[in-house]
Formats: sequence, structure tokens, C-alpha cells
Amino acid sequence: MEANPIVLDDAAGDVVVVVVEGEHDIYTAPTLRERLEEALGRGGGIVVDLTGATFVDSSVLGALLDARRRALEAGQGYVVCVGETVEPGVQRILDITGLVPVLPVLRGRSEAIEAARTNGDAA
Amino acid sequence: MSTAPEVLLTMPARAEGVGVVRQALAGMADALDCDAAVLADMKMAVTEACTNVVVHAYDEAEGMLEVEMLAADEGLTIVVRDHGSGIHPRPSHHQPPALGLGLPLIAALSDSFELKGSAGEGTEVRMTFAYARDADPARANPVTGTVGKDGRWDPDASSRGGAPAGG
Repeated sequence: MEANPIVLDDAAGDVVVVVVEGEHDIYTAPTLRERLEEALGRGGGIVVDLTGATFVDSSVLGALLDARRRALEAGQGYVVCVGETVEPGVQRILDITGLVPVLPVLRGRSEAIEAARTNGDAA
Repeated sequence: MSTAPEVLLTMPARAEGVGVVRQALAGMADALDCDAAVLADMKMAVTEACTNVVVHAYDEAEGMLEVEMLAADEGLTIVVRDHGSGIHPRPSHHQPPALGLGLPLIAALSDSFELKGSAGEGTEVRMTFAYARDADPARANPVTGTVGKDGRWDPDASSRGGAPAGG
């Protein structure tokens, strides 16, 4: 049983979605980095879906920002998304760090997939 | 509230312990009349303080992480302590470079905080949170800057809100 899963969803085809659920911190950040590495290796766009995340800390932001930098360097689209309602343990850190426009963070997975399709060089 | 609950946790300074501290804090908050937004901020700040201990305190050696929670009438004080090598920015070799956001986040999320430490004598972060707030502490002590080109947080960078989505 995995209480805080991080899985790749290939259903969108050319954009891979890294689905992050539960609480994530320094303990699970290495797993997140592995999954992001795997997603980058696919060569297409990347969406990180935090809809099911209940808590993320600065270790998680570090992993997300590293993956964003590498995606930009490789010309791959990169977007983070949240759901209609966002847990305080996720919204707060995004708000006070000002990272919503930087990552960027969008609302809704399908919007994020569309954006990741179009913000890479391949679009 | 004369029977103020007090908690002292001592555990090896390892990554898996940080979530345990959050669980203990949530349990303690249940016993206190604590606003949900304040609890969320407490969890975030205590996570960052414990992460600093795990990443920076003992280099490759084993060491202990201590967390004290002291409940007063108006608020909760949380002390996170190590007995490591003191404040220094170098993470252990097995960790990726830290973003450098931990202390700015603690300052923004707590109503007051104090950092004590010296080389060879360990480090102590003492944070206080009012159970109910008149104002958001993040407005008084905002996190400044944004992520730099090297991937670390640059507190002097001024691209806040000005960067187009997707950079």
C-alpha cells in the first residue's frame, strides 16, 4: 500500500502527467525526482498534477523547479496543475513564494495538458 | 488553561521522521482551539525547520532531531533543535542542493521566530504561532525573490509576478 503515491499517466499521449497525491516532503522528494526524470525522458510535454496533494514543502518545490528548468532547456512543455479546491498545505506555499506564474500553475488537468502541448518548442 | 500540554519528541534526524512530527503537531492542535489556517502554517514551518536539521545538521553522521511543543493561552511555541555542526549552508552529499527557502518560509509563516546556533554547538529554531490571528504574518515578513538561474532561491531577484507564464 502506498499512502502518498506519485504515478505517471500516459493517457494524454504526447503529454505525460505526473500525478502527485497525499503528503510530500524531504522523504518523498527523491521519488518525485525519479518520476520527473522518467517523465522528462519521454521527450514530450509534462504536467505535474497536484490536485490530490494535501501537503508539499520546499523540497517538493525544489524538485518541481529543477524539472521545469530541464524541460525548458530541452524545449519540452511544462505545467503544474491543481484542482477546483486546493488544500491549504499546497495553496499557501504556492501563494507566498509567488511561484504560480513561474512554474506555472493552472487550474484543471485538461487545461494544463493543452498548455503543456503548446508551451514547448515542438508546438 | 492551566494544564497546557507539552510535547517533547526526540528521534534520529532522518527524512522519514519529518512526517511523524507533522502528525504529532496535528494531534496536539486537536487538543487546542487552533484555526485551520494556522495549523497549516505550523505544519509547513515545522516541516521546513526539521528538514533543515535532516539536510544540514549532521553531514553524513547520525544525530538526533528534537522538537518541543509548548502550549500557552494565546499560542503554541515550537522549538526544533539539533546538536550538529551549527548553521552552514552545505547540505549532506546524498541530498540534492537545497532550494534555500526554508528560513524565509519559517519567517513568513510564524508570528515570531528566533534562530540560535554556533559552530559545533547545534542549532535551535524557536517559532511561535497565535491560535487565532488578527493579521497574516506573511504580509509582515513576505518571502522575497524568486528562483535563480542556478536553481536556488535568490532573495534579491525581483521578477515576482512579472514573469510571463512558462518563463
